[in-house]
Amino acid sequence: MENVLKINSLSKRFGRIQAVDKLDLTVPKGQIFGILGPNGSGKTTTLGMILEVVALSGGSFQWFNNMKAVEARKNIGSILETPSFYPYLTAVQNLRIAAHIKQCGTDRIETVLELVGLFDRKDDKFKTYSLGMKQRLSIASALLSDPPVLILDEPTNGLDPQGIAEVRDLIKDIASQGKTIIMASHLLDEVQKVCTHFCVLRKGIKIHEGSVADTLGEINRVEVASQDLEKLEKCLESFPGLEFLQKTGNSIFVALKPDFTSAEINDFCFKHGIVLKKLVTQTNSLEKEFLKILKEYD
Amino acid sequence: MIRALKLEWLKIRNYRLFWILIGMYLLALLVIASGGGLFLEWLKREGVNFNGIDPTIVPIYDFSDIWQNIAYLGSFNKILLAFIVIISVNNDVIYNTMRQNVIDGISKVEFLLSKMSFIVAMAAISTVFLFVAGLVNGSIYSHVWGAAFIFDKMEFLAAYFYDILVYCTLAFLLSLIIKKAGFIIIALFLYTIMFEPIATAIFQNAPYFKDGIMPEIVQYLPIKSLNSLIPFPFSRYIFMEIDDFVPLKAIISSTVWFAIYLFSIVFILNKRDLK
Repeated sequence: MENVLKINSLSKRFGRIQAVDKLDLTVPKGQIFGILGPNGSGKTTTLGMILEVVALSGGSFQWFNNMKAVEARKNIGSILETPSFYPYLTAVQNLRIAAHIKQCGTDRIETVLELVGLFDRKDDKFKTYSLGMKQRLSIASALLSDPPVLILDEPTNGLDPQGIAEVRDLIKDIASQGKTIIMASHLLDEVQKVCTHFCVLRKGIKIHEGSVADTLGEINRVEVASQDLEKLEKCLESFPGLEFLQKTGNSIFVALKPDFTSAEINDFCFKHGIVLKKLVTQTNSLEKEFLKILKEYD
Repeated sequence: MIRALKLEWLKIRNYRLFWILIGMYLLALLVIASGGGLFLEWLKREGVNFNGIDPTIVPIYDFSDIWQNIAYLGSFNKILLAFIVIISVNNDVIYNTMRQNVIDGISKVEFLLSKMSFIVAMAAISTVFLFVAGLVNGSIYSHVWGAAFIFDKMEFLAAYFYDILVYCTLAFLLSLIIKKAGFIIIALFLYTIMFEPIATAIFQNAPYFKDGIMPEIVQYLPIKSLNSLIPFPFSRYIFMEIDDFVPLKAIISSTVWFAIYLFSIVFILNKRDLK
């Protein structure tokens, strides 16, 4: 598949701190790629380097099979950390500057402002905006040239719950148009809801890479308990959807085969004359996986 | 180049502070360029006379001497233009918009070009303004007239333009090094009008330094080089001394400084992490 971005052993050192250490990444066209990591793990530094605002200490990167980086950036909509605009200019005036740099014409300005819900405030100065509105304006600016690639660094930062939901829908919508999105976040929930693939950075080192579906598919667990645990255990051993089970003090963890749900366990046990007093679906969350991955490297 | 200039234009077009400052600058330039006649008339009213000569007949607005005279006086105003440059570059630094510009798709060299084209445009406007002010004042006060006189000594306007260009490039460089606009403005102002001139005066006149190499070296300091582009013109009225050319030495040393400033800016832009 055609690659949008290829990173070869990219490194960045700030004095004594190795912010990014020999990072290799490849992002094919059409992926929604999440870069996960705790604060200070090198996410923004990595994005800064591939956007040429942070000087490289080593390694290289390539956009769109060797396109000149400055030309490539005109085809990339980016949000990097905090929204940066001229406070004394209005949203429209600020976007005109972005349009001029991207050489993309100004006819989409009103469209993108409408898309992020800033149309009513388009002629107000940037300095009068709330943090959430500023963030919306950066998203508008990133979408301005209708670019094939988006780089989003904490895109929902500072937004209210409704705004977060809107932006996520927007990202999914954009992704469904076949665009490539590279997203950095420390919000696992966000990556889980939006991304198709992800990697985990820790202290500048990539410690995990894979598809979101695969990583989450690894576990599908239900915690069950009844009056008589031994009887329950025996019964569950004959459950067709069982992958394996694990008994703890007063409950049993059941790992399910794909396509089985907790409802089927309940039904199965009831048919075998066991009434469950506890039935908890362990939500498959990236958070647990993430913490597990991080722990493995401690 | 037009694209680079348009980028700056979009940034300042709706920036009220810029228009106030540029308005103040042009007003100050007008006062300096046109105030000479009024000043001499004031001297006359106060009863001053130069060895029995009426001050108002001192021909400061005669073509072609007028160009050197007003270029010399006008060049003091360049510090106001440097303030505008400082504010413009500092805005892009503190608002992080320099970084945003790069992310959106310009190279750092293009950023340099856009600021330099802004500086060139301001220097050009200032030079044209001074030229028009000279024409108007000359046509009112000059004792001689005719194209041969009017368009003679135009090199002082070119020197005036170059003086502003190099000085504003220094302001650009400082704005990249120091983040606090107020501090740069005060530091540049004091250095230009006090520190360097006082140091120069000491090295040129103090007995300890006078006969050494120091008086030669201070000729090449940044401000002194620029100030030497347009020699002090009024000595011709007092001592009948005539320095009515742009000294080659000043052109060379100013150009060396100009190159140093530009290389430093490119070096800083390439090396600096924008965050």
